[in-house]
Amino acid sequence: MTTAIEVQERVGPPSKASRPHPIRDTLIRRSAIGVLTLLLVSILVFAATQILPGNAASAVLLNTATPARLHALEVQLHLNRPAVEQYWTWLIGILHGNFGNSLANGQSVGTLVGGRIVNSAVLVILAGVIGTVLGVGLGVLAAARRDSLLDHVLSVGALAITALPEFVVAVILVIFFAAVVWHLFPAVSVFVPGTAPWSNPAALVLPVATLVIVIVPYVFRMMRASMIDSLESDYVQMAQLKGVPRWRVLLVHALPNGIAPTIQVIGLNFLYLAGGVVVVEYVFNYPGLGQALVSAVSDRDIPQIQCIVLVLAAFYVAVNILTDVISLAVSPRRRLPRS
Amino acid sequence: MTFSRRNFLKAGLAGSLAAGTGGLLSGCGTGDTIKAFTTSAAGKPRRGGTLRAGLTGGSTADTLDPLSAVTNVDFSRIDNLYEPLVGLTSDAQPVNVLAEELTSNQDATEWTIRIKQGVTFHNGKDLTADDIIYTFQTVLNPKAPGSAAAGLASIDAKGMTKLDAYTVRIPCSTPFATLGESLAIPGYSDIIPVDYNPNAPVGTGPFRLKSFSPGTQSTFVRYGGYWQTGLPYLDEIVITDYADETSQVNALLAGQVDVVNLLSQDVISEVEGQGKNILLSEGGGWNPFTMRVDAGTFRDVRVRQAMRLVVDRQQMLDLVFGGFGTIGNDVFGIWASEYDHSLPQRHQDIDQAKSLLKAAGAEDLHITLITADIGQGVTLAAQVLAQQASAAGITVNVDDVTVTDFYGTSYLKWIFAQDYWFYNFYLPQVSLATLPTAPFNETHWDNSRYDSLYAQAIATTDASLRTELAHEMQQIEYNEGGYIIPFFPPVIDGFGTNVGGLVPGKSGLSLNAYDFKNVWLT
Repeated sequence: MTTAIEVQERVGPPSKASRPHPIRDTLIRRSAIGVLTLLLVSILVFAATQILPGNAASAVLLNTATPARLHALEVQLHLNRPAVEQYWTWLIGILHGNFGNSLANGQSVGTLVGGRIVNSAVLVILAGVIGTVLGVGLGVLAAARRDSLLDHVLSVGALAITALPEFVVAVILVIFFAAVVWHLFPAVSVFVPGTAPWSNPAALVLPVATLVIVIVPYVFRMMRASMIDSLESDYVQMAQLKGVPRWRVLLVHALPNGIAPTIQVIGLNFLYLAGGVVVVEYVFNYPGLGQALVSAVSDRDIPQIQCIVLVLAAFYVAVNILTDVISLAVSPRRRLPRS
Repeated sequence: MTFSRRNFLKAGLAGSLAAGTGGLLSGCGTGDTIKAFTTSAAGKPRRGGTLRAGLTGGSTADTLDPLSAVTNVDFSRIDNLYEPLVGLTSDAQPVNVLAEELTSNQDATEWTIRIKQGVTFHNGKDLTADDIIYTFQTVLNPKAPGSAAAGLASIDAKGMTKLDAYTVRIPCSTPFATLGESLAIPGYSDIIPVDYNPNAPVGTGPFRLKSFSPGTQSTFVRYGGYWQTGLPYLDEIVITDYADETSQVNALLAGQVDVVNLLSQDVISEVEGQGKNILLSEGGGWNPFTMRVDAGTFRDVRVRQAMRLVVDRQQMLDLVFGGFGTIGNDVFGIWASEYDHSLPQRHQDIDQAKSLLKAAGAEDLHITLITADIGQGVTLAAQVLAQQASAAGITVNVDDVTVTDFYGTSYLKWIFAQDYWFYNFYLPQVSLATLPTAPFNETHWDNSRYDSLYAQAIATTDASLRTELAHEMQQIEYNEGGYIIPFFPPVIDGFGTNVGGLVPGKSGLSLNAYDFKNVWLT
């Protein structure tokens, strides 16, 4: 946010050609900072894995770890080398596009994590898009019929759902729609390894529904509040007095102004989805990134931990940049000179 | 015991588990009820179908290497791909599988193993003596020892000779009277072929590999050339890893999987209430509390005995496993012929514990117990122990660490911790856990009388003499040892009404050591 404001303050000269492009500049600056952030993250994560007791060899061998076996496996996995050297080898590999091999099973991390990224992305994007559309739509509806029965029901409902942790939502959905009451959808989302999640759409229904239910209230409440603000503003009342049709007032005049603060919430929701799917992945045994990360940490599988953390961190950085850029783009003040 | 009452009510319906009410606590009789189930509901064995198993306990470190199997769920794949020379019956007794006959010389320093003929690997190659020699030399390779290396250390792998195509002579560097029992430990004698390729693994088992994604899913198909005619019944097995019991049970209830493993007692009523079945095995695995006899207050045998006396074993079993399982007596090897059933059962005795502590000058004992979720019920047992010990004025701080931390740098060095073992015969277990040379001597037990008794027992082919010597060893452990073995935990698995041929097994592994070759679907 601060960056966005700084950029706005610098804008001003009337000459269109020489004027710095605020969006492009933001993108470049923030991306450079983002890459630096990722490097720092990778160093921190690597350092953290070194502090944790045990290593990949002891995590693989567990209670079959005799000193001889432990030593043999440590040598095989190069864990006996100095930590700095291990990190350096890994970093050089990354720069060559090689994420290394899993210490737990020897498979290529790129392949292992790649499939998981697709699975999680499908979940996040579906839930994010559906949740956003639903939240914005309901928010506009509630604001337009402020203090009606519908508004009250939606507001109270949203508040109630906010109080429910996601695993409770998930378990309730499973009980009703999969395991106990009705057997409508699969209770767990199992995909044949190597196939995309959309090959089995029924298995996506409950995890996506859980996440949608969790994020809709936030978007809804923000949207409703900011819509009410903009509906009360002078220009909207002016438009109404002018006799502009109600739907046009809502969608063309009030909505663009009302959505700007909501975009930050939507961005936050996507960030939550990227990290917060872990619980949902657990309940539905959904083969996503979160589950892979939990497993990789307990396996002390450093290349896999690094790869997943970097993917998640990159997503955080990207979503942050994107929300700021979109906020800039839809900000009415930004659009003022053009209209 | 609403659980048993409900079962009793359901008993009239064909196909219900109808676990005998009386059998629940004592642990006997469950086998009969399960057998009754499989014949009444699932009828005669039937060829075909795909068995879907939803199993917890795996991770991305899942392996297909029979020589490095670690977790319970590793054996679901290993036990169907490969076969051992000697295996375990469902009663945890040794039985020849690929071996036809094992004979030793008088002082048990040289064994001759004759293997079955007409057995083939999944690539069509005949099983011969060369494969046996290759397997043992791989297991015992000092540069990359297999998990059986410590338990089979007496075998002189380099000196093994092939007598004919199906006979091998195995010299031992020290007497090894229990070779047959040691080979029967899960994963200790699974045979791989001479040209074994870990990336395209073949064994002689009833199923061959189709696909494998560690931590996710693996599939196996029926091996048409399997040597046991008529088996297996199934066409295919799909094993899916589950991270959590909740999703695993949901999958069973929703009909997405046919069998599940390693359930807790908490879900039994939910599973049965939804018309699915529970397979209850007595289990011979053991979850001991380990006290280091060479460190801190545990150096004093009176403190160790006091700790053993504060445990209310029945209450612990009730709280942790709903009363299923078998009461322990601080000695391992419950199903072994050498197990001494004549040792008086140790009961909770707070007064005696207190007076022992007083005599040892440790009335106000404060200790930290390291626990981790290393097996079903382990952390819960730790909490129960802490509660029970407080009655004798002992403060037990339970430190719950992650599994990886537990088996990390401090493993085998913890002063007071727990562990998790599958079933093992008595003397082979001693060689792994209670000799100064044992690789997993977690209690740091070192008793010269005990060691010399072991040396005599392992060197005699006279079974009754061996039993006599083993009884004296158990007497020493019972009086002075560093283990608290409050119980032998049950193994609780679940299965759908469409599954036949499942029987309980005592090895501590789920689903009778994942014996899927005898399973069929209706």
